[in-house]
Amino acid sequence: MSTGAPEAAVKTRAWAGAFTDRENYVKLVMLTCASVAILAIILIFLFIFRESLPAIRDLGVRNLFFSTDWRPNVSDPTAGNYGMLTFIWGTLLTTFGAMLLSVPLGIGAAVFIDQVAPDRMARVVRRGIELLAGIPSVVIGWFGLILLVPAIARATGTSGYGVAAASLVLVVMALPTITTLSAETLKSLPIELKEASVAMGATRWQTIYKVLLPSAREGLLIAVILGMGRAIGETMAVQMVIGNARAFALSPFARTSTLTTRIVTDTGEASGIFRSALFAQALVLLLIAMVLIILIRVISRKREPA
Amino acid sequence: MKKSLCLALMLAVAIAFMAAGCGGEPGPPDTSIRGEVKVAGSTTVLPIAQEAAVEFMEKNRGADVEVQGGGSSAGITQLKEEVIDIANSSRELQPGENDDGSIVDHKIAFDIIAIIVNPSLKIKSLTRAEVKAVFTGEVTNWKELGGPDSEIVVVIRDQASGTREVFDKIALGATPEKPVWCVPSAIESASNGVIREIVAATPSAIGYVSYGYVNRMVRAVQLDRVAPTIDNAAEGRYVMARFLHMFTRGKPEGPTRSYIDFVLSDEFQREVVAQEYIEVRKVLEK
Repeated sequence: MSTGAPEAAVKTRAWAGAFTDRENYVKLVMLTCASVAILAIILIFLFIFRESLPAIRDLGVRNLFFSTDWRPNVSDPTAGNYGMLTFIWGTLLTTFGAMLLSVPLGIGAAVFIDQVAPDRMARVVRRGIELLAGIPSVVIGWFGLILLVPAIARATGTSGYGVAAASLVLVVMALPTITTLSAETLKSLPIELKEASVAMGATRWQTIYKVLLPSAREGLLIAVILGMGRAIGETMAVQMVIGNARAFALSPFARTSTLTTRIVTDTGEASGIFRSALFAQALVLLLIAMVLIILIRVISRKREPA
Repeated sequence: MKKSLCLALMLAVAIAFMAAGCGGEPGPPDTSIRGEVKVAGSTTVLPIAQEAAVEFMEKNRGADVEVQGGGSSAGITQLKEEVIDIANSSRELQPGENDDGSIVDHKIAFDIIAIIVNPSLKIKSLTRAEVKAVFTGEVTNWKELGGPDSEIVVVIRDQASGTREVFDKIALGATPEKPVWCVPSAIESASNGVIREIVAATPSAIGYVSYGYVNRMVRAVQLDRVAPTIDNAAEGRYVMARFLHMFTRGKPEGPTRSYIDFVLSDEFQREVVAQEYIEVRKVLEK
């Protein structure tokens, strides 16, 4: 027994040594993975910037980014007009429309899962919403095409294609992100908050509305921003229901395009400055994504000291 | 015990895969046709020419067919400069392009563009002026053409489409220098099939597709009281139609001739060309 202890100590040290070796090795692998990701981001950014440069140079910022005149010319690209404002507006409009519905729905569902529902029901709801995240976008788009578009057409007397259909499809895509992240945030709140509130005589609703949701504000905001990112980038499902027109959308039932759907629609035979203008659209998308990420950074940094 | 069994199984699978890989080795190559064929020109003909090249090279392992796009005009220019052997074209030769008669025309497919509407729409015939007014947005309600009081939903092809090019030219009177634009709210679709789906699903929609795509889901409209049929198009009464061509310098010989013969063969015409166009034999016989 008495000799057992030092022996064990030696063993532990040897094992620890082996562990550090392995740890270094793993560290190296991880570092490689991380560098590949960072390198890819930098390369993508540089590539897209380089490819969009001819359009920016030849057309000027105003004609490219702040014009709604999109009339490309396949056989003689320099003779076309390449204003993308219609599509930037389309992206913002459909995303805003989707957020209008998915934010209250998503946060509401999160509150239900975390605060209201009995354990078992919460689990069922949570699984259901997670399942929603796994459905391929083309399937959701297909449902939009055969159910949503005719329904909107009947209700409004329009063709049914347009911003409203696209926004509704995007609600389905953004909802899982917003709900699961919001539920996580609510779950991470200290239990004392709730206990204190209830002890002060607040009702359940008052506790949720006046204590829990305000305390979780930053986390909820991050959930919304990530959901927004999902909505902005979605291509396939949107393309199927938005109507792919080049008209500036002034009504929720107008047919238009977003940046992503326009890139997909026109990439086929694009060459020269036409192709470059499409890359400039990708650049705008990338910039929007970066702004969102920076927003998340800023918000989470603000949250840390609290 | 279990582990070794597992290992053996994996080994067996691996060997099976390797064996399968070996099984794919080519037999004795068919050396009947050898040599290089360079093809370029129309992007409309490009998919057919490429598919033909792949199948042709599979059958003749000594042959090397290289297909590129570039547009009909560029193809004809390159053919005359002897850079390529075959120029693909979606248009006829223009005056001045074949003054010495050295270029030989091979018609490889026939394309008819049909204007389609939803079957519920009681519009049977449109004049060319009416078609232009509808597609450019001058007329936006079917009421103005004697139809129901509903907004016209225009469905068109994407920028890259050869069908759109022909439609714009013949129906809208567009030229390369002066393009005519369809109404901005028009739905752009990447394929004939999608246009048919949208028109079939939308009661007030109008669009255009290659003739091969017209079926019971949609109704083809007469143009100036002429129905889009093979007969009418072949005899020139229906104007929205065209041949697709392959041009050569003089009578083709060697691999160039074999390649064109392959494109014109019954099998290739039936299985590939007929997917989107009309077999050229059916038209030329008339």
